[in-house]
Amino acid sequence: MTTPARRRLMRDFKRLQEDPPSGVSGAPSDNNIMLWNAVIFGPHDTPFEDGTFKLTIEFTEEYPNKPPTVRFISKMFHPNVYADGSICLDILQNRWSPTYDVSAILTSIQSLLHDPNPNSPANNEAAQLYRENRREYEKKVAAIVQESWNDDDDEGEEDEEEEESKAGS
Amino acid sequence: MSGDVNRQLSHMSEASSCYSDGNSSEDMDEDIDQYYMDTTDDLDLDCPSKTDDPEYFEYEPLQVMDAERLLNEEIEALCTKLKVSPSMAKMLLLRHNWQKEEIIENYQKDPSGFLIDSHLTSRRKHDNLIGPRPMCSVCCVNYPRDRFHGVTCGHMFCQDCWDMHFQTQIQDGITTAIECMAKECPVLVTEDFVCEVLTQPKLRDKYSKFSFNDLIKSHPKLRFCPGVDCAVIIKAKESKAKKVECQTCKASFCFRCGISYHAPTECDVIKRWLTKCEDDSETANYISAHTKDCPRCHVCIEKNGGCNHMQCPECKYDFCWMCLGDWKSHGSEYYECSRYKENPNIANESVHVQAREALKKYLFYYERWENHAKSLQLEETTTSKITTRTQEKVMNNQGTWIDWQYLLRAAALLKKCRYTLQYTYPYAYYMDKGSRKVLFEYQQAQLEAEVENLSWKVERAEITDRGDLENQMDVAEKRRQTLLKDFLEV
Repeated sequence: MTTPARRRLMRDFKRLQEDPPSGVSGAPSDNNIMLWNAVIFGPHDTPFEDGTFKLTIEFTEEYPNKPPTVRFISKMFHPNVYADGSICLDILQNRWSPTYDVSAILTSIQSLLHDPNPNSPANNEAAQLYRENRREYEKKVAAIVQESWNDDDDEGEEDEEEEESKAGS
Repeated sequence: MSGDVNRQLSHMSEASSCYSDGNSSEDMDEDIDQYYMDTTDDLDLDCPSKTDDPEYFEYEPLQVMDAERLLNEEIEALCTKLKVSPSMAKMLLLRHNWQKEEIIENYQKDPSGFLIDSHLTSRRKHDNLIGPRPMCSVCCVNYPRDRFHGVTCGHMFCQDCWDMHFQTQIQDGITTAIECMAKECPVLVTEDFVCEVLTQPKLRDKYSKFSFNDLIKSHPKLRFCPGVDCAVIIKAKESKAKKVECQTCKASFCFRCGISYHAPTECDVIKRWLTKCEDDSETANYISAHTKDCPRCHVCIEKNGGCNHMQCPECKYDFCWMCLGDWKSHGSEYYECSRYKENPNIANESVHVQAREALKKYLFYYERWENHAKSLQLEETTTSKITTRTQEKVMNNQGTWIDWQYLLRAAALLKKCRYTLQYTYPYAYYMDKGSRKVLFEYQQAQLEAEVENLSWKVERAEITDRGDLENQMDVAEKRRQTLLKDFLEV
């Protein structure tokens, strides 16, 4: 059955393919257009450079009037990302506008990697290190960048991880 | 309590009804005097409670219909004055807390600037429609131009998308704060547009109900009675932190902030105190007073014995509690460390000492606050005991029911005094040191003593002489009034 949310998501997907923003990609999962898998490449000149971070985006039938739930599947170390991978970003909460699409969401998260906001910490340790000990922060980020490659090597493990996160959500 | 009703309905003219307890014999005398003196009206001196009672407050209960009429009158007045639409006037009043003079002044100074600041229009008019069949940027469907609508900012979206937007917002309880759908556009959507677009009549009702709530909440002279399922709206002349008692549901509360009445403490202070008691901010103080972090792995350690040789349970590091240095270097020089602590670690130490002091102070006030709250609950049983005892006495022909009413009045007064006493503790906690605090604590102690005396006498009412009890009641209430007169912000 086609609904306004599903129609809009088809448009989002088409737009993402026709005009792909650099450093991000995303697509609906095989059998469910309301659940997307996405990848954000760590932006250049940041400690996240070369990382390939996987995310899931879950939409409801209220999309685009309500924002989707976006969550990192890959391990993340960032002041505004919670331990379960969910993201503290204003446009995904109170500053959401129905004119945002998947492409806008992914590029906003990408720029959040570039430009953390340590004043609204979702991960206290990361926020503190980002403010006070940048070298240690970068070291911790480097570790999760390496881990993000391991996900690619071992497809079986990755699937398991995804299953787990779904069960947990 | 007919005196109370009178006070609300006809507060100005009849001085006699200003008394809160209009049933003592003295009041009766005054009532009679008043009745005959009323022809010589406009004598302010014949209303003692108005000038003397620090808790005196004029208010009246309104039904929803009356409140609606009142708001509509104000909205219409602004409409005619500024020549704006009723929806616009409503938004302006809501966003500026019904300060009509201020709105008129600012609007007349710079109409467009004021509307921009009020989020009712944007600096430039946007135009996001291209071609004869533009695409709606929310649903990504092309429609003929007449399907598109928008508010003053110029962002246009199709009718269905607006409808959907309003539905989701109203379901979340958002009405007067609905914004334009465009990203980063703060322009608010006014009522006329919402009602024009909304297709479901049920949602339109919901919208008007929720927006009415917002209007009342923003109005400084109106307040919803916080009583459960009570629809009464209290109207007062001024927004003051005074006690209001709802005649319909008997709830009593502070007019300005809506929570339990809290004289002599102010609204923001009592809020701070209540959050302080509720949340674990004191736990944090406890942690800093009784614990230190392991100097190696930074795990938090609580000192649970007298020995200063500590071993971290996490990393097994041995260290000295005093100087946080490695224990290995101690041994024979241990006593040096204990002498040493004044110097290198003094800044750190004083923080701990300060935290410990703060905890002690808080616990002192909190204990007393809690104690009075508990006593207040216990006084409830006293009241019911008095009622049963009175009934027994009347049954046994020991006086009539009226003869024993003074006992119930004594119990009610005791509750009132204890209530005020309870709320003096947060006030004292946040008070700065100085002569005013000395005076406050003196009066508090006086009130405390009289309240305890009264409590003692009420509990032993049968062996206490009536005159003695009445005297004690008078003394306690005087103390309460004196304290409020000196410290309640009027």
